[in-house]
Amino acid sequence: MSTTIIETGGLTRNYGDICALKPLDLKVPEGEWLSVMGHSGSGKSTLLNLLGGLDRPSNGSLRVGGEDMQGLTEDGLARFRREFVGIIFQQHHLIPYLTAVENVMMAQYFHSVPDEAEARLALERVGLGHRLKNRPSELSGGEQQRVCIARAIINSPKLLLGDEPTGNLDHKSTLMVMELLKELRAEERFTIVMVTHNPEVAAWGDRTIYLDDGILVREERTRS
Amino acid sequence: MSRPLRAIWAVISSRATSPLVIGVFLLIYIVLAFITDDTLIALMEYTRTNVLLVVLLALVPLNSGCRIVKETDRHLKLRRALAGKSANDPSGLFDESVALPVPSSFDGLSGRLAATGYRVRCTGGTLAAWRGVSIYPVRVLFLAGMFCLFAGILVSLTTRTTHRMSVIEGEPLPTATGGGGLVERITLKTGAGPILAKILTMDVAPSDSGDGRKVFGLYPPSLYRGYFVYPRYIAIASIIRFSAPGGQTAYEKQAVMNIYPAGKEDRVEIPGSPYRILFSMIQPEDGSDPYVTGRITYLFKLMNGKEVIFAGSLPVGGEFVRDGYRLAIPEGKRMVITDFIQDYGVLLVWGAAIFFLAAGCIWLPVTIFLPRREMLFVSAPDNIHACSRSEGGGRKHGGVFHEALDFLEAGMADRQPFDGGSAEK
Amino acid sequence: MVLAKLAPHLLSWAGIVLAMGRGFSGRRSVVAAGAIVGFPLGVAGACLLSRAYPGDFSFAIIRDIVGGSFLLLWGGAVAAIYSSTVREFPRSWGERLANSPFCAGAVALSSGMIAGAISACRLVGTYNTLPPFLLLALAASILALAALAVERALAASFPVSHSGLMASVVALLLFSASSIIRLDLFSPLTMKLMKFSHDFVHQFFESMLIPDHLFIRTYLWGYIGLLFGNGVGFWGALILWFTPAVLVALAIQWERLPSVAHIRQGAQRRRLLATGIRARRFRLVIPVLAMVVLAAAVYRSRFPSVEYWDPKPLPISASPSGDIFIPKKGDVDLEDGKLHKYLFKQGGREARFFVLMTPAGKLTVDLDACAICKPDGYGQAEGTVICYYCKTLIPLETVGQPGGCNPIPLPFTEKEDGVHIDGLTLLNMWGTNAQSTARVKGGGK
Ligand SMILES: Nc1ncnc2c1ncn2[C@@H]1O[C@H](COP(=O)(O)OP(=O)(O)OP(=O)(O)O)[C@@H](O)[C@H]1O
Ligand SMILES: [Mg+2]
Repeated sequence: MSTTIIETGGLTRNYGDICALKPLDLKVPEGEWLSVMGHSGSGKSTLLNLLGGLDRPSNGSLRVGGEDMQGLTEDGLARFRREFVGIIFQQHHLIPYLTAVENVMMAQYFHSVPDEAEARLALERVGLGHRLKNRPSELSGGEQQRVCIARAIINSPKLLLGDEPTGNLDHKSTLMVMELLKELRAEERFTIVMVTHNPEVAAWGDRTIYLDDGILVREERTRS
Repeated sequence: MSRPLRAIWAVISSRATSPLVIGVFLLIYIVLAFITDDTLIALMEYTRTNVLLVVLLALVPLNSGCRIVKETDRHLKLRRALAGKSANDPSGLFDESVALPVPSSFDGLSGRLAATGYRVRCTGGTLAAWRGVSIYPVRVLFLAGMFCLFAGILVSLTTRTTHRMSVIEGEPLPTATGGGGLVERITLKTGAGPILAKILTMDVAPSDSGDGRKVFGLYPPSLYRGYFVYPRYIAIASIIRFSAPGGQTAYEKQAVMNIYPAGKEDRVEIPGSPYRILFSMIQPEDGSDPYVTGRITYLFKLMNGKEVIFAGSLPVGGEFVRDGYRLAIPEGKRMVITDFIQDYGVLLVWGAAIFFLAAGCIWLPVTIFLPRREMLFVSAPDNIHACSRSEGGGRKHGGVFHEALDFLEAGMADRQPFDGGSAEK
Repeated sequence: MVLAKLAPHLLSWAGIVLAMGRGFSGRRSVVAAGAIVGFPLGVAGACLLSRAYPGDFSFAIIRDIVGGSFLLLWGGAVAAIYSSTVREFPRSWGERLANSPFCAGAVALSSGMIAGAISACRLVGTYNTLPPFLLLALAASILALAALAVERALAASFPVSHSGLMASVVALLLFSASSIIRLDLFSPLTMKLMKFSHDFVHQFFESMLIPDHLFIRTYLWGYIGLLFGNGVGFWGALILWFTPAVLVALAIQWERLPSVAHIRQGAQRRRLLATGIRARRFRLVIPVLAMVVLAAAVYRSRFPSVEYWDPKPLPISASPSGDIFIPKKGDVDLEDGKLHKYLFKQGGREARFFVLMTPAGKLTVDLDACAICKPDGYGQAEGTVICYYCKTLIPLETVGQPGGCNPIPLPFTEKEDGVHIDGLTLLNMWGTNAQSTARVKGGGK
């Protein structure tokens, strides 16, 4: 029996009078790969930010990993972000003047202490063992995104959030990234919540939910 | 080893022993500082005469010796363990040790470790990886230095004998047992080096008692019949002939005049009379050193009690006559007040200085650039025993070790890396 | 008024209790009891001591006890550095001792007694009645309880290691002692070190048969001569002063981190290491604070805040026969126990001297200079006169006796109405002593 890792009840987020997320009830069991779809402005990123502790809900309850996010202090929220989640964005947000290993080590540094050997091993796991000392500008988009994956998983998160991680990639790179995520998930057993516009990418997940104007309109299970 | 023996060995080979003993001496110094102003001399004197303190001080060199034995033993064990020859459990020799419950081959691992700069040796069921230079030789040098230093202090304190002698040009070398060779020449020259301003040599002719020709210099001190020759002061040995009016005072004697360098005054008392004479050397106008050239002109002041009768000057071989007083100096020879010191502790302390210097010279670059890091993996039928050790901290080695363990545990040695990216590159 | 005077002592006492409460965190009640009993005991002890041995002796005893605690700190610091860098160092019994309630009680009691004695020394001499002392003990007890209450409120992630506790307590005691010049340890340390350095170089040369300065180049001898100077005393004492606290800090910095090799997840390993490093950093705070306190103690020792009685020398002249007469009750009262300085000028020569009534009730007339120092003169403070040059304190009781850095006594005759001094003798003595020291002190060994 799998435990629930994400549980929301009437989760809302308002920006002034804009209601980006209408009361939302969602349950994600541990280990699931959830895809989130919906057209632009439907509140997908808003939801992801809430799940990742980057933002606080306006209303409703939000429990992630058994932790009541409403009850967390700023420090607690920072610790949650450090130790519990890994996030991959569409833009890679890598530090341009640091090498790939150093970028991964940076995440280690903010988590605890840097450890080069471990960072190298993580990059090898995403297939970048030969590109350790290259700067982001010297890497292809797919490689950059793989550095981001290494960075996101380096602190062994329980929850991996992706905000259109393949949005800028061509078909082949997208496939490669998805393959990699699948493999890593098999080893590390983390939960994935991934926002995407691409139904093909969404199909990699176990389940897909559709948002429209901040409302969960539909959900469907991927047949495998 | 029996129990008491083991206890004694534990005490004399403990790392705490030397600091403790030194601490005790420091305490004694502090206590003495309350009692006397010449604390250091008092401490040396006190230590020399107190058997208990001598034994306590002897503990330090003993301890250093035992440490060398102990650390050598440990070092050899470590080497054997790394060579894969050790049958015993090596974990006591290392900082960290851990058992992995996965049997695995080391194939991929040796390549990975080699790529991070480690030297790797794979023999049978063990893999040893190391980099840098061990601190062990430095430790041995340091401990040898400690041994020599404290043994030297001990020997010096307990056995030093000193004889102060006047070495006079043209006279036989004074020795405790007699029969010294003739001191042919004493020369003082201006030094050229950065340290010595003056160079003093004493040439001694062969003696009847079988000593060969000798030349004594300043430093390092020469050895003469088992004694170090340690020149202390320069003086002039002059023969003084003095008579006062009335004839009741007539005096002739060789006097040691401590009047070097020119201008320094020394006093000669005329025994059995109220007279005394103050002597000094005149500095020649050409700036030369009268001791070097041998052309000595004395400046003298004849005094009766506190009152000056007259003053004047006269060269070696000259005579001065006035008002019935007569003063002649027929002879003025160079002389060196010399200590003859028997003390082999000095050699030990010199040795210690060399050891310390060598240890320091190796230690600094080694700890900065080449600190020793070692890890050892021993495979057993159902697990792997892994140990690691790094000299002088540094977390990077720990990271490599942990990563190697992760690598072994994940069984990645047998698996293709993702995307065909090569790990070896 | 009394409390204002005692502020530095009470402040350091509060710090001591705070540190002890943290250092023996499981044994707060023992610490509280020890502290509250110890301090008044120390106060009473100091009072009795000064009653029994008026003068310098009682101060010397208390100063030596403070010095003993400094030595203990040295021992503790060396032990700490060994136990954190040497694997096979026997540390278990030491740890067991440090964790026992007996140790907590003993430390609290003894540091309370020392702190109490030091604080009482501040009042001894100025106050002869009981109330100020009672007030002191009361204030200290209240402060101790307050400090323990504050300690309870402090964050739990702020631990104090045993060596750190030792460093902070001793540093605070030294600070407290340094504001009473007769208890100050730093200046005597400077003196002793200067002497040691001189003796050591001398003995070293002789032991190693190194030629004397006669044969050595002047510039080189100049460098060696630095070892005999005042600077060596000061800088060497600074090093001795701070080293134990630095060693304690280094011992903490070099402590081994927990072994994490058995954990197979990198993030978890790193988190454990980070926690260890963080805890280590927190433990470093106390030794670093101790260094700051030690620095403050040095500052107080070098620039004591006590007001010196530093009178301007009054010009005085002699009668035609060369006799200097100073009336006992003229413009100044010679018998008020204060230092009265005079400047005598005659025929282009001059000399400084002072007249003082010692606590024994005898007048003494001395040159304003000693036989060994540059004639910078003396000031008066807290039952002593102080040599401005070497900062040596001379108890009022011994002023008038010759030797060392004591002011050189002048022959004089005391009459009903005043003292008579021979002008020529004065000028000659000043000439032979003070001027020669002024020259000699320039250089040489
Ligand atoms: N910081 C903000 N302040 C004000 N309004 C915001 C803010 N962030 C988002 N919004 C609004 O909230 C709504 C939802 O935005 P959100 O970023 O979640 O959309 P999205 O589904 O991620 O869209 P896209 O697919 O284009 O990324 C939008 O109308 C947006 O304008
Ligand atoms: Mg978005």
